[in-house]
Amino acid sequence: MAEAPSLITGESKAGDWRNYERVILPPVKDLHKIEVYEEDGGYSALKAVVKDGKFDPAALTDEVKASGLRGRGGAGFSTGLKWSFMPPVDPEKPRYLCCNGDESEPGTFKDRQIFEYNPHLMIEGIILACYAMTIKTCYLYIRGEYIDYVHHVQKAVDEAYAKGYIGKNILGTDFSTNIVVHYGAGAYICGEETSLMESLEGHRAYPRIKPPFPAQSGCWGMPTTINNVETLACVPLIVNRGAAWFSGIGPERHPGPVLYGISGHINKPGVYEFPTGMLIRDLIEVAGGVRGGKSVKAVVPGGSSTPPLTWDMAKDATMDTETLREAGSSMGTAGLCILDEDTDMVAFTRRIAHFYHHESCGQCTPCRDGTGWLEKLLSRIESGEGYTRDLDLLLEICDQMEGRTVCALADAAAWPVRWGIRRFRDEFAARCKADSFASSEQGDGSVEAQPVL
Amino acid sequence: MTQPTNGSLLQPDYVPGEPVERHFADADLVWTDDEQKQIATFRSEYPTNDGAVMKVLWMAQNKFSWLPPDVIQFVANTIEVPYAKVYGVATFYTQYFKEKKGKFVLDICTCFGCQVCGGYDILHYLEEKLGIEKGQTTDDGLFTIQEAECLGACGSAPMLQVTNGPYVHNLTKEKVDGLIVDLKADKMPGFQSVTLPQDETDLGGNRRSDTEAVTEYQTPPVSETIH
Ligand SMILES: Cc1cc2nc3c(=O)[nH]c(=O)nc-3n(C[C@H](O)[C@H](O)[C@H](O)COP(=O)(O)O)c2cc1C
Ligand code: SF4
Ligand code: FES
Repeated sequence: MAEAPSLITGESKAGDWRNYERVILPPVKDLHKIEVYEEDGGYSALKAVVKDGKFDPAALTDEVKASGLRGRGGAGFSTGLKWSFMPPVDPEKPRYLCCNGDESEPGTFKDRQIFEYNPHLMIEGIILACYAMTIKTCYLYIRGEYIDYVHHVQKAVDEAYAKGYIGKNILGTDFSTNIVVHYGAGAYICGEETSLMESLEGHRAYPRIKPPFPAQSGCWGMPTTINNVETLACVPLIVNRGAAWFSGIGPERHPGPVLYGISGHINKPGVYEFPTGMLIRDLIEVAGGVRGGKSVKAVVPGGSSTPPLTWDMAKDATMDTETLREAGSSMGTAGLCILDEDTDMVAFTRRIAHFYHHESCGQCTPCRDGTGWLEKLLSRIESGEGYTRDLDLLLEICDQMEGRTVCALADAAAWPVRWGIRRFRDEFAARCKADSFASSEQGDGSVEAQPVL
Repeated sequence: MTQPTNGSLLQPDYVPGEPVERHFADADLVWTDDEQKQIATFRSEYPTNDGAVMKVLWMAQNKFSWLPPDVIQFVANTIEVPYAKVYGVATFYTQYFKEKKGKFVLDICTCFGCQVCGGYDILHYLEEKLGIEKGQTTDDGLFTIQEAECLGACGSAPMLQVTNGPYVHNLTKEKVDGLIVDLKADKMPGFQSVTLPQDETDLGGNRRSDTEAVTEYQTPPVSETIH
């Protein structure tokens, strides 16, 4: 079988991105105010669909499918396809939409900017999604730390209610839907879809085993769809400009505008809107280059759970699912963290492990204990007390964690450790005392009495 | 057999273990009319009683500043959900305070994005300045400092959050000094809008004309410590 040609060509897949016109966060002053949003063409997609019948629910789902929109919450699943999994309407059964604004993946800070600067785009997207799936209630889940932004969003929701865009008989039609703003209280795991539902129901937010998937049994056991904030904010744009416009932005298999959150050792960090398929190199350039003119040691392309790439792996890669998969990582939430040559990868990896240890909900033994051991071993290596064999032990723990738990947090915890060690092994090894399981002889020649972990 | 300490608390016939610890008098454990209206609204937003638990716990924490067992019991009575369930929720989330904290709780983010941009420097600076370690409260009861996980503001690292409220971005030691002076004078920082880099050219750097405080994403400092 002929090998598929490599996607890592060093060429941008973002087209004419230097002249890109921003659409999710367009340069309009005070766009968060409903009058300004309306003046800028806001809520026209809603009018066209709900009032003027531009699309019926099935046609809207098809349009979103045709646009190629993929979830911006991390997993990159086709949004239209996800919507089509909802079972046929049963008047006896309420159905729900959850808008996932938990945004707790370290390195991610893009949804916050939508809450702050263009909340009505998200709200319009939510109502359109409710229309496409005949849903009467949407729960908008925002992380508790974003309480200031919760107030901004609540204000926007109230304004939209007052104008008749949400609520009973939207725009005088017989379509009604409600948005309830819900806020968390500090738990990363609530971003996981089934955990979010448990949290909404007022329980400890333990993720559920899938299947059944949310479309069959979600909130309160009812059919539920869950989408990220940015995903839903793309929907009005697709309605207004058409699926073909959307799929024409960026690479074919992962198209559309995307908010890149760039942080780390960079001159101009922040949230940037560009097409998908941007070269990591170009993103570093637009973000003002690496701080102090240093060279890059590693790039985390999409939040803490995406494996770090060495500069050699990252320099010719573009930001889209397929290319990043080939490069050895994934798109995640498009929150890039740029690490310069002076970065201590051991300390960095230890801090990620600490995060997952802290955030594991504790339901599954491999995750609850595994994340703890990862942190302990990495701390020991960081302090110079670790042994070379610990590196293999770490990899073995990763093997024991991946794919063996209720939710993907365990995988997300294992990946950065596994790939951190694989890709920066020399740096880890240099911090370890020479030893192996075969002999208990230590680096200085003395024999260790009892190997302690 | 534990005797109900107060007729107004819904007590089951048999309560295992110790009676619910008391920190507030019965006279304090009441909602005002406005609060009751608010709670009724919250309850109407969810199909079950449990649904409102998070919002009512937040209300209780804002009112009583922390959630000791008697406040948790009070919330449980309010929404008619068993104590154990409410306790389970309260202990699941880090932002609910299960022990008494300082008047101002400073959550300094040291997660990796902040770690590599001086998050630990700020944490240690505060530890030194206030003479306490992370997790502790100053003797005057004013400040608690805590190490936080990513707060979703990695671009404006290092940063911190004041008592589950406003974010303070792009921290420097001078900014921390100013913040402590302000907080001692009971001046909470307000909401601060962070301008998008792309808006600096397109919108003259300020997208929201209704926000007083505006800042930009700035080049992060070089971190001196990373743990
Ligand atoms: C541990 C964990 C944490 C997650 N956190 C978030 C989050 O904070 N925000 C988010 O949108 N999705 C998060 N997700 C992904 C969601 O489970 C879900 O896939 C997503 O919200 C679906 O929306 P999308 O299809 O629009 O991307 C998380 C997943 C896992 C496993
Ligand atoms: S994998 Fe971890 S976070 Fe996910 S359910 Fe299991 S213990 Fe909880
Ligand atoms: S790492 Fe500190 S805010 Fe994200």
